[in-house]
Amino acid sequence: MSKGDSYDMFEMNGEVDVKMKKKKKIKKKDRLEGMKKEMDIDDHEITIEELEMRYTTSVTKGLTSSKAAEVLERDGPNELLPPKGTPEYVKFARQLAGGLQCLMWVAAVICFIAFGIEFSRGTLGCFDDQALVIRDGQKNQINAMDLVVGDLVEIKGGDRVPADIRIIFAQGCKVDNSSLTGESEPQSKTPECTHENPLETKNIAFFSTTCLEGVATGTVINTGDRTIIGRIASLASGVGNEKTPIAIEIEHFVDIIAGLAIFFGFTFFVVAMFIGYAFLEAMIFFMAIVVAYVPEGLLATVTVCLSLTAKRLARKNCVVKNLEAVETLGSTSVICSDKTGTLTQNRMTVAHLWFDNVIHAADTTEDQSGQSFDQSSETWRSLARVAGLCNRAIFKPNQESLPIPRRIVVGDASETALLKFTELAIGNMMEYRERFKKVVEVPFNSTNKFQLSVHELEDPMDLRYLLVMKGAPERILERCSTILIKGQEMPLEEQWKEAFQTSYMDLGSLGERVLGFCYIYLNENEFPRGYKFDSDEMNFTTSGLCFAGLISMIDPPRATVPDAVMKCRTAGIRVVMVTGDHPITARAIAANVGIITEGSETVEDIATRKRIPVEQVNRRDARACVISGGQLKDMSSEELDEALRSHPEMVFARTSPQQKLIIVESCQRLGSIVAVTGDGVNDSPALKKADIGIAMGIAGSDAAKNAADMILLDDNFASIVTGVEQGRLIFDNLKKSIAYTLTKNIPELTPYLIYITVSVPLPLGCITILMIELATDIFPSVSLAYEKAESDIMHLKPRNPRKDRLVNESLAAYSYFQIGAIQSFAGFTDYFTAMAQEGWYPLLCVGLRSHWENVHLQDLQDSYGQEWTYAQRLYQQYTCYTVFFISIEICQIADVLIRKTRRLSIFQQGFFRNKVLVSAIVFQLLLGNLLCYCPGMPNIFNFMPIRGQWWFVPIPYGILIFVYDEIRKLGVRRHPGSWWDQELYY
Amino acid sequence: MSANKDGDGGWKSFLWNSERKEFLGRTGGSWFKILLFYLIFYGCLAGIFIGTIQALLLTLSNYKPTYQDRVAPPGLSHTPRSEKFEISYNVNDVETYLKYTKSIKEFLEMYDDERQTDQMKYEDCGELPGSYIDRGELESDVGARKACRFKRTWLGPCAGLGGHDENFGFKDGKPCLIAKLNRIINFRPRPPTNNASVPEAGHIRVQANVMPIHCQNKREEDASKIGEIKYYGMGMGFPLQYYPYYGKLLQPQYLQPLVAIQFTNLSFNEELRLECKVYGANIDYSEKDRYQGRFDVKFTIANS
Repeated sequence: MSKGDSYDMFEMNGEVDVKMKKKKKIKKKDRLEGMKKEMDIDDHEITIEELEMRYTTSVTKGLTSSKAAEVLERDGPNELLPPKGTPEYVKFARQLAGGLQCLMWVAAVICFIAFGIEFSRGTLGCFDDQALVIRDGQKNQINAMDLVVGDLVEIKGGDRVPADIRIIFAQGCKVDNSSLTGESEPQSKTPECTHENPLETKNIAFFSTTCLEGVATGTVINTGDRTIIGRIASLASGVGNEKTPIAIEIEHFVDIIAGLAIFFGFTFFVVAMFIGYAFLEAMIFFMAIVVAYVPEGLLATVTVCLSLTAKRLARKNCVVKNLEAVETLGSTSVICSDKTGTLTQNRMTVAHLWFDNVIHAADTTEDQSGQSFDQSSETWRSLARVAGLCNRAIFKPNQESLPIPRRIVVGDASETALLKFTELAIGNMMEYRERFKKVVEVPFNSTNKFQLSVHELEDPMDLRYLLVMKGAPERILERCSTILIKGQEMPLEEQWKEAFQTSYMDLGSLGERVLGFCYIYLNENEFPRGYKFDSDEMNFTTSGLCFAGLISMIDPPRATVPDAVMKCRTAGIRVVMVTGDHPITARAIAANVGIITEGSETVEDIATRKRIPVEQVNRRDARACVISGGQLKDMSSEELDEALRSHPEMVFARTSPQQKLIIVESCQRLGSIVAVTGDGVNDSPALKKADIGIAMGIAGSDAAKNAADMILLDDNFASIVTGVEQGRLIFDNLKKSIAYTLTKNIPELTPYLIYITVSVPLPLGCITILMIELATDIFPSVSLAYEKAESDIMHLKPRNPRKDRLVNESLAAYSYFQIGAIQSFAGFTDYFTAMAQEGWYPLLCVGLRSHWENVHLQDLQDSYGQEWTYAQRLYQQYTCYTVFFISIEICQIADVLIRKTRRLSIFQQGFFRNKVLVSAIVFQLLLGNLLCYCPGMPNIFNFMPIRGQWWFVPIPYGILIFVYDEIRKLGVRRHPGSWWDQELYY
Repeated sequence: MSANKDGDGGWKSFLWNSERKEFLGRTGGSWFKILLFYLIFYGCLAGIFIGTIQALLLTLSNYKPTYQDRVAPPGLSHTPRSEKFEISYNVNDVETYLKYTKSIKEFLEMYDDERQTDQMKYEDCGELPGSYIDRGELESDVGARKACRFKRTWLGPCAGLGGHDENFGFKDGKPCLIAKLNRIINFRPRPPTNNASVPEAGHIRVQANVMPIHCQNKREEDASKIGEIKYYGMGMGFPLQYYPYYGKLLQPQYLQPLVAIQFTNLSFNEELRLECKVYGANIDYSEKDRYQGRFDVKFTIANS
């Protein structure tokens, strides 16, 4: 750098000189042409009078002053224009446009582009809802933003609740709170206060939830950031973004590099001062060493590797918002998963039926690929008819092409489930209902807890009416006097009642919502055709009915989830369920997907089994644990830590947003790297607090997506497993990439050290180093990101962030002091070869520096007595740069090959399986050739066309690197745990 | 060198952990093992390196470098050396030009007659320019070769010998420059085939068996200020009988022919840029190398 600069300046002067000369030549040409024109002058030939005429002057009086001014105006002043030198700004611009400077410009532009992309991604659109507000006694449609506390607003089905509202009047109003609490069932809203917790009470509707049906009027009690959801959002933004593990790793590593660079630089600064260099020179050495030591290309490599993986993940429906999150997923050791929508399908589905005194399991898979139950029984037909007829849900029209489970239904969740179920079982329910014309219906209400409808029969000869009813099972049973068993109506005896109770409890304990179904054929004499049924008076039989069966429904787990949870478990990742739903449902789903494994018991289970009080159970015996929000509230953080430590299988139910945050923090305290999945606004603080927040793309709210680092486009938990795999792979591959990138720092550094201490002509220039760092070696180091995993990474434990560092001691030592050392020797061998073959023996080179770099010494003698001018030596020096460059390139090819694996032999991994790597090597060679042989390179980037054989000098060293590393890997494989393994496995 | 400096316990315990007797994170035994490993490793590497360099040296000829593409065509160098491409002094102040005269004197000492008396090493090659003297193949077993004598007296007033000006003209404002063509093994300079390339003023010095040298003003406006330039030396150029050069090993006593250039009438107190060029069929000039086959020099001579 030192001398390089001064050479450059010298060269620059030369160039400027040349350019000045050229300019002068042009000027001269112009002037010559002007002179030629002036040859036409005939002023000397004409008479005085003619002259006076021509210039309108007088030989006696001269010009008039006005004329003179006019002519001055026309011709300009009588003076020679000063020759134009190169303007200062052109000189300045030339300084900015040099070869090296251009590299910097490109880097700067890339930075700006990167910022632009980041910036454009940042903002999300805000909403503008309308709200129906009653002011001055009149209904007005106003912008929801203009609502104030105290406003009276009206909401109806389909509206978004415009603020937090205390309900004053409601009619069949149901609100979807899923984004706030995670409950998948719509909550009915009534004016009564039913719970002390505002989140649970029925008389408050929350901002940003959706009213599904009914109407309600209420007073606004909170607006904007003061609403519950606003508070959650500000809680989310208040939670600091945690540093990702990879950021910590890179920081750690940058610290090492910077420390070492300054250490080396300073050492050699002192050495240089000691040897007797001037202060300024020593200072320049210091800078040069720092430049040579800092891996300029590394951050680019890391970013590109991460974005490649991000792209790969995007193809698998994981969109990564924050690049570093890619790796975080790989080091995740705990996943806190929301239940609704992530583990489950987020749609009620019929799961079980009880008829003929047997519990039948329905097919709950998303694509109806599961087993169905025996549908031959007569009872089933009756039950299906009741379920189909006593149902107000309808399909939206024009969906015939869609598979039934995907069709959109108008109606509440359980009716939807029943409609889809009957549609699948019987087919075309719409038409079926046409055949049984509905005469009257009584909708569900919370006092009688049933719903009934009366239908005509499809057989026109049969004039009886059919009354069908469904509702809370115990209420239904009360109204029944018979029960249908195998198509036969039997009197409802105690034995059936007991059987009913057992089944009801069984289904309830599965976390399922159970409905009872019954029917009766109304007596045609009592209720002839045309009888006026009155739904309010209920002037018809509503007791002594025939019980048909029970149907239970649940939001079933996604088909892929149990498998994915299993995979997480083998990968050493703990899956914790954190949900706002009820403990029983949560536990049932947890058991279903394998979060609570078969045979695991909770403390309560053990207590029941051993018939002892809960307090006497040894908590450590229980693998599983279900903690509800209420219990959590009373726990100290130590107790929570203890619970998380002692129970490997955890389910948290009924949790509030703050509690989710507490759970995440607790996991992090225990040293885990935590991933949180969620979709609702209630999840957003936890998403933000987590090391990696994963939001659901379909069901997820904007708040959740904003807070998350990653978005699952298909809402599928299984995608997380793919993410984990990719994250682990990229961690491994980054390690390889970094090892590759670091290696060449030593052969870049040693030339300076030798140059300073032994005073040989400089073997490697600054620009050459930058070309290696930023051009030739980028692609190969990125190509390592495409390397396949060496072993089954999904069977290993997650890395321990405190011990398994990205860059560890042995990686640095192996890269720097072993492979890097071999590369340096390769470079020097080639350097001395090139010098010796041109006439400079190695021993002559030692101590030659001051003569070699003397600009005024034009006859320096080489080993053969030949005399070299300064410029000839300079080009010889450039030749040395180039051969050193080529040596590093050749060795780096060997290096990239050995970095493909850390443990396996490369023959096990396959030489050419990574096509990108192969093309990277080809690219590297082509670029090396271009730099060497492209005309003009000597003066732009200081590359000289070198002789073919100098390419081959470093090859033995390349082979040495390859063989040595194979031996290393062999030792590591053969003797795990040995000294060799400890020191040389990185 | 260690990556875990910020491990548990901070710097101090990392430096010396008395509990586990660890220095920089390793025990004595561990340090011994790793250092032994590196000793062996570097020993092997150094062995390979030295072996390769030895093998390389074996492939080299003792007489002639493998390649000469960087050193040829030859450079044209001059004594005294310019400083920042400039020779400036005051005729009235000896101090200002002492360094120039001294360096010429030292340089010419190599050409003293007493040094050229050994008949085994030197021979007379005539007083007039002649053709190349072939002294056999480089690699033949003839061994050391004789070299042609070069007499300082040929440099006339610039020889700096007794009776002549010891100040090489500097004192009178008529400075001498001694020019030589850089040595290149086996290089046979060829005189220009015609004198078209040589400026008119130099035509008289274009003759057989001599590489003519000619200096002229670099800037047009200096044309009238540089005055007469005189050339001394055999044939006022580089005579061919001194070529080819057989290298340091075979001709350690080799003296290359010199040309003294005396600027007899330079204008005082002005910066004058001059360019001297040697002309020949295999002489080349390069924009990047200002000393290849030519040199630039800037004179500023003050007389007050």
